[in-house]
Amino acid sequence: MKMRRRLIWTAAALLILVLALAGCAPQAETVGEAEPAAEEAAPEPTEEPMAEESDDMEMEPIKIGALAPLSAPGAVVGGEAMREAMLIAADELNARGGIMGRPVELIIVDTEGLPERGTAVVERLINQDGVVGIGGGYHSSVGVAAKEVARDNGVPIVFAETWNDTITSVQYDEIFRIAPLSSEVSTVDVKFIQWLRDENGMKLDKVVILTENTDYGIPAAENTTALLDEAGIASVTFSVDIGTQDFAGIIERVKAESPDMIVTLATGEASYNFTQQAADAGIGPQDVPTMCNQVSLVSDAFWTNVPDGNHCFVRRIGLPQQLYNDVAQALVAEYSARTGKDDIESYAMASYDSIMLIAQAIEDSGSTDPSDIIDALENINHMGALGPITFPINRSNTPDQAGVDPKWWHQFPDPAITIVQYQVEGQDATETTVVYPDVYQTGAPIVVGQE
Amino acid sequence: MENAAIFGWALLWILFWGALGGVVTPRIYARKDLEISQASFGGAVIGAALGPFSLVPLWLATPKITSRLIGISIALVVGIFIAAFALADPDNLCVANGGFVVSQLANGIVIGIIYGLMALGLTLIFSILGVVSFAHGEFYMIGGMVTYFMTAQWIPGVSPIVAILASCVVTFAIGYVFELIFLRPMGSGEIERPTEYAILVTFGLAFFLQYFTQALTSAVPVKAQRFFPFPRVEIPAESGALLTTTPGNVTIFDAISVPNPRFTAAVLALMMLAALLWFLYRTWVGKALRAVSQDRQAAAVTGINPNSMNTLAFSMGAMLAGLSGASLVQVFSWLPQVGIPAAARSFVIIVLGGMGSLPGAFLGGLIVGLVEAAGTGCIPDATRAAAYIPAYGMVILTLVLLLKPTGLFGREL
Repeated sequence: MKMRRRLIWTAAALLILVLALAGCAPQAETVGEAEPAAEEAAPEPTEEPMAEESDDMEMEPIKIGALAPLSAPGAVVGGEAMREAMLIAADELNARGGIMGRPVELIIVDTEGLPERGTAVVERLINQDGVVGIGGGYHSSVGVAAKEVARDNGVPIVFAETWNDTITSVQYDEIFRIAPLSSEVSTVDVKFIQWLRDENGMKLDKVVILTENTDYGIPAAENTTALLDEAGIASVTFSVDIGTQDFAGIIERVKAESPDMIVTLATGEASYNFTQQAADAGIGPQDVPTMCNQVSLVSDAFWTNVPDGNHCFVRRIGLPQQLYNDVAQALVAEYSARTGKDDIESYAMASYDSIMLIAQAIEDSGSTDPSDIIDALENINHMGALGPITFPINRSNTPDQAGVDPKWWHQFPDPAITIVQYQVEGQDATETTVVYPDVYQTGAPIVVGQE
Repeated sequence: MENAAIFGWALLWILFWGALGGVVTPRIYARKDLEISQASFGGAVIGAALGPFSLVPLWLATPKITSRLIGISIALVVGIFIAAFALADPDNLCVANGGFVVSQLANGIVIGIIYGLMALGLTLIFSILGVVSFAHGEFYMIGGMVTYFMTAQWIPGVSPIVAILASCVVTFAIGYVFELIFLRPMGSGEIERPTEYAILVTFGLAFFLQYFTQALTSAVPVKAQRFFPFPRVEIPAESGALLTTTPGNVTIFDAISVPNPRFTAAVLALMMLAALLWFLYRTWVGKALRAVSQDRQAAAVTGINPNSMNTLAFSMGAMLAGLSGASLVQVFSWLPQVGIPAAARSFVIIVLGGMGSLPGAFLGGLIVGLVEAAGTGCIPDATRAAAYIPAYGMVILTLVLLLKPTGLFGREL
């Protein structure tokens, strides 16, 4: 009797466990799908079965895939923002009647920031879910791996936030990017550092770079080191695994280098952990000028995790808010309504545009055939939240013909890059001061640690 | 590294004579019909220390290999290793900067204490139930989450001590209920294959807790504010040569620097450790727990209910993990997945210290903390030093398992 009661208890608890796991486990998230009940309903006998079938085919949703890091060790804060923006894109498309009269089904998958996971989910999106194009993408290492799957299957991906130069420099027909090139971002970083030294009289002999061991971090650190060297500034690079929590040992080494500036090229939670632990150790953004990772622009999460993060410099991709076009303003309004945030993160904005680009390419080509979509993307002129988006270096204007580096292949050439600074504790990202470049400047930088 | 050859030759010396001592010594002791339980480990460390100068006398005289002899030999090996490193890389921070070395050691000890506390919970469960809990990292995560939400969301301004106690209660309660429902049938022989069952059911609990927490709190990282910010103090005034404190840091002798959150976390861990030791060694229930861990049947004969001890041990183990998380949520950004690396490290520590050994778990935690700090601080290549963090503990674990498969304090089989 006792045993039976225990077994019943166990079975009940297992059932709850399974139900809860089924409910909570991360799965592909879809929006805009037909109601399952409708799919399962028994077909009514009709007088014109062929015509009915044809209508069903026409109303079948167009499936678009979306990549975002939604669990650790990926940059979850960034992934959540991207997901919200891509959902807005899908809702907008469906609200205006879908694409070519067909509803849009957005299938969002979690890359976890891991290349092997990225490969698996892209494979699934293409071969199981049957998507015609893919948008989003945050981590370069995921982009580097995922581009091979897209290439093998001939399905286009418009990357929103993967910076590694090789993603486009391999010149795959299927790969497009609206994020900036890593080497271009490094150039802006170093120009800013030089500007601090030359125009603001800051002592800048040595920079410490903290980077992550990924396809984003390693080349970005190498580029930055080379450019700093050209500028006559010494640098030391420390690299860590993605998702590293404990920086105590490395921070002591950073301290021993007595840097004049710290540049953080680690993404996600690792960047929060490093910045706050550095602050605890006395070399935080209020002690040594620090360039924090762009995930710091998620101000709520930033101030929760880095309460001593005031005076962080952060690179921001995209135009300042005062220069937003109508598309961006409408997006911000909707995004704010959904998330309660005052502004949208640049990678969320780019994710929105990546979905909209694929949608317009389908409309322009009048087809859901991936090769037709690729043709349309090459010739696209899309007014997105980031501004007018084109891919001028393509099969009809190759890098060789244009006399440019292969990294510009299928690359949006104009993502604006600014450097902003938190100048008040608890400040919202929208209120940060744009300190560089001069053309967008809204205030002077506060340079700490200068005696 | 300026003179890498010196370091390379020293390592080769240690490895060659260590391996030779480890292989030959037990054979010689066995041939003379002597005790061989420590012969392999002892022979290896004695050989690694002084090579032929210690091995030949050892093999000729075949003295009893005592813990003291092993301890002295280990100290010599560490000394040779450090001397070779210092000669090979005289400009290394670990050689040239005393303050840096002491700070790294302090940080290693501080984090090692917390690792040890977490591993204590895991080893307590193993020693009583014979189960490796794969949900240990999730109890650690829940401890931190409860503390964060108590202090930052539910009752802002509440004392961190109250929040930590709440996290202890929550993790203890989850552990208690889980043991009663899922693990109790193992103790009463109702489960056919208890080992596999325990692995699967604790794995299930781990996934459930992780994703359930993610569903409740989202995967956005959170972090508690410093529990006890230090006042700004300088002793002596103006120079602060003896002691300087800021809200986030304490610096002793102008050289040893320990961040506030780590310092307070370590103090909390030490207090909890003292309470645990008192409980285990001074109370009837604690003694009963230890009795069950030593001999389940004999304990039952004396009137101790082993099933109750199972429930208590699992709940306390879960609570210790929760407490570690509660004290570290002010140090690290906290996510539902934060327990995964912490649990992996705990597994390394309990195997290193000896499965089921409480002192072994704590010492193992300290060793892993110190080795990680030393590795991160001393590896000359700055681009690699921190990237190897997960490997440092594994290297030590491999070495110990090669020489002493039962771990440092494991019971001989």
